[in-house]
Amino acid sequence: MKSIVLSSVVTALLVFSGCSSKEPAVDTESKKAPVEEVVAQEVEAVETETVAAAESMVESSSNSLGELSMSDIEAQLSSVFFAFDKFDLNTQMQEKVTAAAELGKTGGSAYNVKLEGNCDEWGSDEYNFALGLKRAVAVKDALVAEGIDSSRISMVSYGESNPSCSDKTSECYAKNRRVDFKLLP
Amino acid sequence: MKIIFSLLMFFGLTFAGDATIEVIKKVDALPSLAIEDSSISYDDTFKLQFFKSLVADLNVISLFNVDRFHRTTHFNDTDVIVENKDMNYVLRYKMFEDDSGALNVAIKVLEESQEVFAKSYKVSRQDIYMFVSHAIAYDINEYMGEPSVEWMKRKVIFSRITGAKQSEIVISDYSLAYQHVMVKGGFNLFPKWANYEQNAFYYTSLDGLKPTLKHVDMKTVKVSSIISSDGMLVCSDVSRDAKTLLLTMAKNGQPDIYTYNVDTKKYKRETVYGGIDVNAQFMDKNKIIFISSRLGYPNVFSKRLDTKEVEQMVYYGKSNSACSSNGEYIVYKARESSNAFDKNTFNLHLISMKTDFIRRLTATGVNEFPRFSRDGDAILFIKNYKNQSSIGIIRLNHNKNYLFPLKYGKVQSMDW
Repeated sequence: MKSIVLSSVVTALLVFSGCSSKEPAVDTESKKAPVEEVVAQEVEAVETETVAAAESMVESSSNSLGELSMSDIEAQLSSVFFAFDKFDLNTQMQEKVTAAAELGKTGGSAYNVKLEGNCDEWGSDEYNFALGLKRAVAVKDALVAEGIDSSRISMVSYGESNPSCSDKTSECYAKNRRVDFKLLP
Repeated sequence: MKIIFSLLMFFGLTFAGDATIEVIKKVDALPSLAIEDSSISYDDTFKLQFFKSLVADLNVISLFNVDRFHRTTHFNDTDVIVENKDMNYVLRYKMFEDDSGALNVAIKVLEESQEVFAKSYKVSRQDIYMFVSHAIAYDINEYMGEPSVEWMKRKVIFSRITGAKQSEIVISDYSLAYQHVMVKGGFNLFPKWANYEQNAFYYTSLDGLKPTLKHVDMKTVKVSSIISSDGMLVCSDVSRDAKTLLLTMAKNGQPDIYTYNVDTKKYKRETVYGGIDVNAQFMDKNKIIFISSRLGYPNVFSKRLDTKEVEQMVYYGKSNSACSSNGEYIVYKARESSNAFDKNTFNLHLISMKTDFIRRLTATGVNEFPRFSRDGDAILFIKNYKNQSSIGIIRLNHNKNYLFPLKYGKVQSMDW
């Protein structure tokens, strides 16, 4: 009986310890409030970082008269699309990159560009992210070959997590295998 | 005839206990177990909720043919309920709320009306009842003398995609019944426990200019930035002593595997191939397994950290893009169809480094992100099938898979 009582206490402690470390803020009766307390901290940190893009938009509108605004140029930069499981550019897509490079040398010469690589929904693993990145690299290499300074180009991969289309159709998957251009000040 | 027989015996003995060979256990062969509820406190909804959780957990330990009828009786009755008299085992439990509002549960296991096991449990709040249920299943498994299901008590951390470039990081129990959102808002992926105690974790933030690895101490809720990289940055694995991280970083857009020393904050490039090297996992302190495109398609390779030698580990499948290892076993994700215009199937396969057997572990949908439990008893994975995202558990030695569906969103990655 003693051992049962003892092991019960140990189990209770285990269950307790398991739970207390899991939820650093949950120690009142209310379940929601502490959750939000933790959440609030995180949201703040994250949101301050995302402000950068919006700020840059403001700056760009106050640019000199001869240059197009950042959003005007971004609207002219169309996404580059890729074949299933591929990261090489075909002729049609190469033309898009050439046009983008031309913009980068003329109206958009004041800006840097962030290339965002994306994939279709077949997989959320690291390999898919790397595939998205390789697509961004292919576009970067093509831009550099067209005379854009590589220091103006940064890259990021969003894997399958940033779909522009969420239907379960082949057209939709094709739309998601892309690289987007995002301008930075 | 004797020769054939002895050959059969030889193979039987050689491969007995090899998890790549399917273990077929007939459901009838499992002993039956019924559950009797003797709870005093709480309403019928909660009583049924707890009962269901217990049935699910007892199913997952895969030792019993669990009866699903919810029947009530008195805790101290010497006889089992008449409907349960033919059952091999009866688990009787009593839930009661004490003055402090804590949930108390007392259980006893009866075998042929004789009490063979008893224990009591207590948690501070009613809404974390699932941890009591897991603990009961864990203890009954121990009582039955089976290999430990320690993983049942571990916490799962996962990222859930809620919209384009929107995600949250959630901590849950293995069955997803308990969920606690730790990081909300923004675009944060690839959470990874920072240590075995599970009181801190890493994740990748994609909100800044460059992907950045963050560390969260759950006791102090302090968030710190560890390292940034152009292109991509993922913490793929953490060493057992929590001192070394395996990272995939892409300096200059080239995804390679790096080790990162938590104390000295220095990193070292471990792979130099010009294609894709990702998803590194420790096999032991000095050896890693990873995914590489060096054959022109993704496949599983291993490398010693003290030499440059790279070895191909898997010879089946033309697109194996995720893996996990434990001892002699490797589980990997293989694409089984290659179709740009239709649905694709990705299944998990298990191989042993000692034999040539390959065992397919899943059958339908997109199955990915396999993660062995530390003891190798179970594999946790993500399943996406027909617009439903679930976390699955594969009990290797019982040849059974259990799925726990997510109520909303899609699981992007997870760790346990």
